[in-house]
Amino acid sequence: MIEFMLNGVSVRTDDDPNTPLLWVIRDTFKLKGSKFGCGAGLCGACTMHVDGEANRTCILPISAVAGRHVTTIEGLGTPDNLHPLQEEWVALSVPQCGYCQSGQIMSAAALLENNPNPTADEVDAAMSGNICRCGCYVRIKDAILNVSAQKLAYNAMDEVNA
Amino acid sequence: MSAKTTTNSMNMSRRKFLKTTGIVGGGLVVGFSLAGCAPGELPIDLSENGFIPNAFLQITPDNNVRFYCPRDEMGQGVTTGLATLIGEELDVHPQQMDVKFAGVHADYNNPAMGVQGTGGSSSLRAHYMPLRQVGANTRSVLVSAAAAELGVAVEDITTADGHVIVAGKQYPYGQFVNAAAKLESPEEAPMKANADFRYIGKAFSRIDAIAKSTGTAEFAIDIDIPDMHHAVVVRSPVAGAKLKSVDKSVAQAMPGVTDVIEISSGVAVVAEKYWQAKTAAAKLSPKWQDVALGQVDTQTVKDDYARAMQQEEGLTGPDEGDIVAGLAAAEHVVEAQYWAPYLAHAPLEPMDAVVRIEDGEADVWSGVQGVGAMQGLVSRFSGIPLEKVRAHNTYLGGAFGRRGTLTHIVEATELAVASGKPIHLLWSREDDIRNGVYRPASLMKMKAGVGSDGKLTAWQAKRVGGNITPKILENMIPALFPGLGDSTIEFVVGLSRDVFSGWMVDHSSIEGISDDYDAPNKVVNHVTVDHNVPLTFWRSVGHSYTSFAKEGIVDELAEKANIDPVEFRLNNTVNNPRLNNVIRVAQQHMQEMQPAEGHYLGFASHNSFMTDVAEIAEVSVKDNVITVHKVTCVVDCGIAVNPDIVRGQMEGAVMYGLTATLHGDLDLQAGAFKQSNFHDYPILRMQEAPAVDVIIVDSGTAPTGVGEPGLPPIAPAVASAVFKATGQRLRSLPLRLS
Repeated sequence: MIEFMLNGVSVRTDDDPNTPLLWVIRDTFKLKGSKFGCGAGLCGACTMHVDGEANRTCILPISAVAGRHVTTIEGLGTPDNLHPLQEEWVALSVPQCGYCQSGQIMSAAALLENNPNPTADEVDAAMSGNICRCGCYVRIKDAILNVSAQKLAYNAMDEVNA
Repeated sequence: MSAKTTTNSMNMSRRKFLKTTGIVGGGLVVGFSLAGCAPGELPIDLSENGFIPNAFLQITPDNNVRFYCPRDEMGQGVTTGLATLIGEELDVHPQQMDVKFAGVHADYNNPAMGVQGTGGSSSLRAHYMPLRQVGANTRSVLVSAAAAELGVAVEDITTADGHVIVAGKQYPYGQFVNAAAKLESPEEAPMKANADFRYIGKAFSRIDAIAKSTGTAEFAIDIDIPDMHHAVVVRSPVAGAKLKSVDKSVAQAMPGVTDVIEISSGVAVVAEKYWQAKTAAAKLSPKWQDVALGQVDTQTVKDDYARAMQQEEGLTGPDEGDIVAGLAAAEHVVEAQYWAPYLAHAPLEPMDAVVRIEDGEADVWSGVQGVGAMQGLVSRFSGIPLEKVRAHNTYLGGAFGRRGTLTHIVEATELAVASGKPIHLLWSREDDIRNGVYRPASLMKMKAGVGSDGKLTAWQAKRVGGNITPKILENMIPALFPGLGDSTIEFVVGLSRDVFSGWMVDHSSIEGISDDYDAPNKVVNHVTVDHNVPLTFWRSVGHSYTSFAKEGIVDELAEKANIDPVEFRLNNTVNNPRLNNVIRVAQQHMQEMQPAEGHYLGFASHNSFMTDVAEIAEVSVKDNVITVHKVTCVVDCGIAVNPDIVRGQMEGAVMYGLTATLHGDLDLQAGAFKQSNFHDYPILRMQEAPAVDVIIVDSGTAPTGVGEPGLPPIAPAVASAVFKATGQRLRSLPLRLS
């Protein structure tokens, strides 16, 4: 029996401890937003946050997340309550087929959490593990940099107001 | 009114455009069929509204405007595009529509295909007038109903945003659906002039953007139904090899495993959860029968193609003028051979499907480019009559031509039948790369001559490789004609194979190799050499490799004749004025560019799927590594129904094409593809992705496709820039410097 926090709620499973987190989330906890793309940590479609860090969960056994905090795309935002990155994804019509986008957004969210003001090269580096076969890279990058700029602007305004 | 009554009345009327078809449960249902009302019940859930489907529009009294989208959404934005067409004339904002994927019915056939398929960059072109007409007819009948209900003249009514407007007061369409259902609908209500468009030509967010940014868009992998079991299939690494023997005992005893089953493509493990099936399948070591392909390496293919190129004349395709005289009249002649490898599509969602068979009925869920074919295959391989198979299309996690081949539907159906359980089948990435269907490898010989006036005098092209049409037929005939016996299908497929190797050139093998330029003397030859590698459409099909050879030889000829290569193209595309204009617009942009030190500009243009595209690639080379910094893309696709989606498709096609230009390669070793996942079949990543500047040429003509045409110019544009940077002519894809 392995226990961990899933989107802020304590959960437990008796799945085989070697089972990759992705399949426990999808098959056992029925959260389908995180996708399978390669099964080898090469494409990033399965990206979730484990203790706030972007992780390729198709190769991460659940034994490794015991007692830790896992956040999936469902925990980041919802259609009625979009995360700022999701708002920007919609505004720029980033997705085409959309299959990779949960993973892209989770990688982007982890990046901005750790580095609110990334350079374009830092965005490239942080997103290099996420493949978009439709080739939406230009818009993904623009969306991340836009959100970063908006956040900085808000923060600056907050400081001025304070 | 019952479903049956309405269907019958439709059958009796068989009008060119379907009228208002009925009102059930308080809503209006409208549809059209170019061929008249097709027979058969419509695939819409009657429990919700009690509507008769065969319809594109369903408007409820609470003013919910539902659009049954007849085409498949694989990322190309077709749901937004088609909703825009119907919404334009109906005066409903596309983003306000409730869009559902249509089930199987002849009324949903693609007018460009005659079957319910999506591909060939055909959707906007084929539906531009028909769906607008449906919108206009529906608006007209709603206005008539409103006029009667409100006691005003039709002329005093305007419409906007799903509302009838009279003297400044707004009434939702839903208020008039019951009255509208009793009226005759016009067949050809007037449509708007282009100048009056409110949604066509305007950019707004894709209607699927929120679902696809929140993980809530449903793909086949996400389908979850009671008692669903998960299946993993082990197939021969060599295509076409049947199972000889397998020891199932170890896998059968693994946790969660319920069945180990031999099926037509190999052997499958069925388990309660995916990971259990995957783990157990790894314990199978099946033996496979020998097939001829097992003796083939990539070098075998190349040697066989080279021999055929040299020794066989092949079939003659397009043939104009006198090629011998044309070559004799030339001042400069160049000749070169170009190579393009087999490629996998690698959509990010691997092949997957759910099939449930229960009480003599079946349901199938998958995201495919032909929902009718999916239904047909389930029927064929389960023995359940077609009308008792419900096919549910989901979003497609990328397709690029791959999701027109439906062997995964056959597998899932066989497993559902054999196991007696609802089956969720998922291919691995390794399955996708190694057991797929491929872009054919091609060897092309180009010879062209130019006169002293800078005009082409001769254009000679020859292609060696396999043909996709017989392979498509092999896949599609069993699906589209589920009642047809195996022997008949084998006969037809064999016939098509013979026809295209011995009688006439398969157009898809040579498309785009000779069309764009004005040479008065042209000839195309084709030699079929087929090693039994499964082949299919791959984004832009034949154009994906012919553009490389065609634009490459033009670049070489212009250089030899000492003519600017863009100027050369302008002088030799006079007969294709739209392409000529796209080249001219791109030239103007190119002349204003100031590439950084060590950066070089390469140019290429190509017409495909009736759309014209020119691309300029800004490239640098360092330590034999090719970097593409920026791509400028000029496109004329007629009216850009949604300019932002057009831009997105051009951006995406550039990236897809760059993967093929810089990385895409598959090696056969003893008949099996060596590559298996993204470490050895790399896909372009963000740090390699260039900026893309898309310029859409203003147009008032009907739209043409945009899903594919952005791809063909990119490889030759990059190759041209690499030549400028290094002096090396690279004539093999992917481009590799040494």
